[in-house]
Amino acid sequence: MLKHIHDADRHLARLVVIFLFCFSGAALADQHVVRFAYAGKTDTAAYNGVKLGLAEANLQGKFLGYSFAIDAYSPAQAGKLDPTKYVAILSTLDSNGLRALAARINGVAILNLTDKDDALRKECITDMFHIIPSHAMERDAVMQWQKKHPDSRVRATAWDPRFVKYAGRDLNKRYRAKYNKKMDELAWAGWAGARMVADVIVRGTPAEPAQVLDFLKTKLAFDGQKGLDMSFRVTGQLRQPLLLVENGKLLNAEAPVRGVVDPDDYDSLGIAGCSK
Amino acid sequence: MSIKRCLIFCLSLLVMQSLHAAGVNRVFVTNEKSDNITVINSKTLKVETTIPIGDRPRGIHLSPDRSELYVAIGNENVIKVVDPETLKILRQFHAGSDPEDFAVHPNGEIYISNEDAAKASVFNPKTGRKLTEIDVGLEPEGVAISPDGKFVVVTSESSSLLHVIKVPENTIIKNIIVGARPRSAIFNSDGTLVYASSEIGGEIQKVDMKSLKIIDSVKLTSDSAKPKDLRLSKDEKTLYVAGGRANSVFVLDAENMKVLKEIPVGKRVWGLAMNRDKSRLFTTDGVTGTVSVIDTSDNKVIKTIKVGKFPWGVVVDD
Repeated sequence: MLKHIHDADRHLARLVVIFLFCFSGAALADQHVVRFAYAGKTDTAAYNGVKLGLAEANLQGKFLGYSFAIDAYSPAQAGKLDPTKYVAILSTLDSNGLRALAARINGVAILNLTDKDDALRKECITDMFHIIPSHAMERDAVMQWQKKHPDSRVRATAWDPRFVKYAGRDLNKRYRAKYNKKMDELAWAGWAGARMVADVIVRGTPAEPAQVLDFLKTKLAFDGQKGLDMSFRVTGQLRQPLLLVENGKLLNAEAPVRGVVDPDDYDSLGIAGCSK
Repeated sequence: MSIKRCLIFCLSLLVMQSLHAAGVNRVFVTNEKSDNITVINSKTLKVETTIPIGDRPRGIHLSPDRSELYVAIGNENVIKVVDPETLKILRQFHAGSDPEDFAVHPNGEIYISNEDAAKASVFNPKTGRKLTEIDVGLEPEGVAISPDGKFVVVTSESSSLLHVIKVPENTIIKNIIVGARPRSAIFNSDGTLVYASSEIGGEIQKVDMKSLKIIDSVKLTSDSAKPKDLRLSKDEKTLYVAGGRANSVFVLDAENMKVLKEIPVGKRVWGLAMNRDKSRLFTTDGVTGTVSVIDTSDNKVIKTIKVGKFPWGVVVDD
């Protein structure tokens, strides 16, 4: 009789241990996964960039005890996005979609990856950040270049697959290796948004939306592989150099254009202040 | 008669050995874009010769006994072994993908960063055999080894990480996040400190090797400073930092990390090396295609030597 009870206890004890182990394992796994949301179409260069950024963030995170995951919402589903699960939202919605998102979501960073609308910047929408340069920045870059080269038919872009300066070659290689496609400026913006938010977390910021917002606004020094550490200006725009393409050829010069302005004066491009 | 001959033979071997251990009085510079090595006489500071070496040479270091010179040839995925005296290429061995820089362990083994493979590999340069691989972060570059051989530090540029690796296990014991794009690292002579440079944001970090934590850091104020190589002075109270596109070597107080002076050199200075008694610091000025020679007693440039295209690494065998 005693032996019988003893066996049962041992069996029960074993079950309890297994249950606790599984439960704690699951709990631990959830604790360390930091989630982003993505709102927009996924069959795009920008989302390819986001996925590359996420993979690289996980490689970095692996060494520091973090892992990152992303939940994608199509434009139709964007209204269902529950912000409480995420430290930040990356978006390729257009300016109307972005405004709608910002109207119902408070206190979570929304990163506009691809819309160049000047009005969005002027409105200084709370907690919205713009990765891609605005049309105004592109116009200013062209204007600066044409002060030196009046007859030049040049266009400005955030990224080019032929860019090899600074660490540009490496990033272009990585994108090409993953997708067998050239990295354009929308893909770069997607990559930058994902890497940037992950960078905030791995540098020790608690995975809370408010803390992430504060870091993005006040402490960010992000390596976008364009040769400088980038930060946001008051409009929410990411300060950055623009690459210049003339007659289809990538020029070996960037804007802000040396000789016309101080090449480190990134606020010479685009809208510097809020209009509200 | 034969004993005398034997004695003479042995004596001359000893003399040759000590001569060899004393170095060949040369400075070797890899020229990344002219695919060759410039050989400079370390006494006269004149170029002796240039030897073709291979497609995209970068890291260059000596074996512990200085009998062999190792050169990483990025686009050929090999390390070539050169005799520092005869300048002949003795052999080569496959060194993983896109070898950039490496360090030579006191036991003779080579720890190398494989830039496009997120790995660091360990090789026996005598046999060419790969001994092990260590998974690191994205785009590893700098490798530094403690003088006692117990620790190796590898920097992962695009993951902003310093990996601390324990020898002989060759496993990572700590990962430290640092300023963006860490490129180079060095140990002090007793292995208690590591100094590391981060290119973007121009930061220099000081790591305490007991706690494995960053205990101090400084941001170089020049906007264009993109620091790379570092070297400590003989008394280890001064830290020299190659300032990249600041086109100067920054001189820091190693204790409080304050910038004391900037020594203007050529353009895009990356590589640094010192002679044995640390009386001279040599820089590779990539864009200008020169090596600047600094007298460390007064931290002034005493000579600028024209070398090949985009000089990258430099090592002194004196």
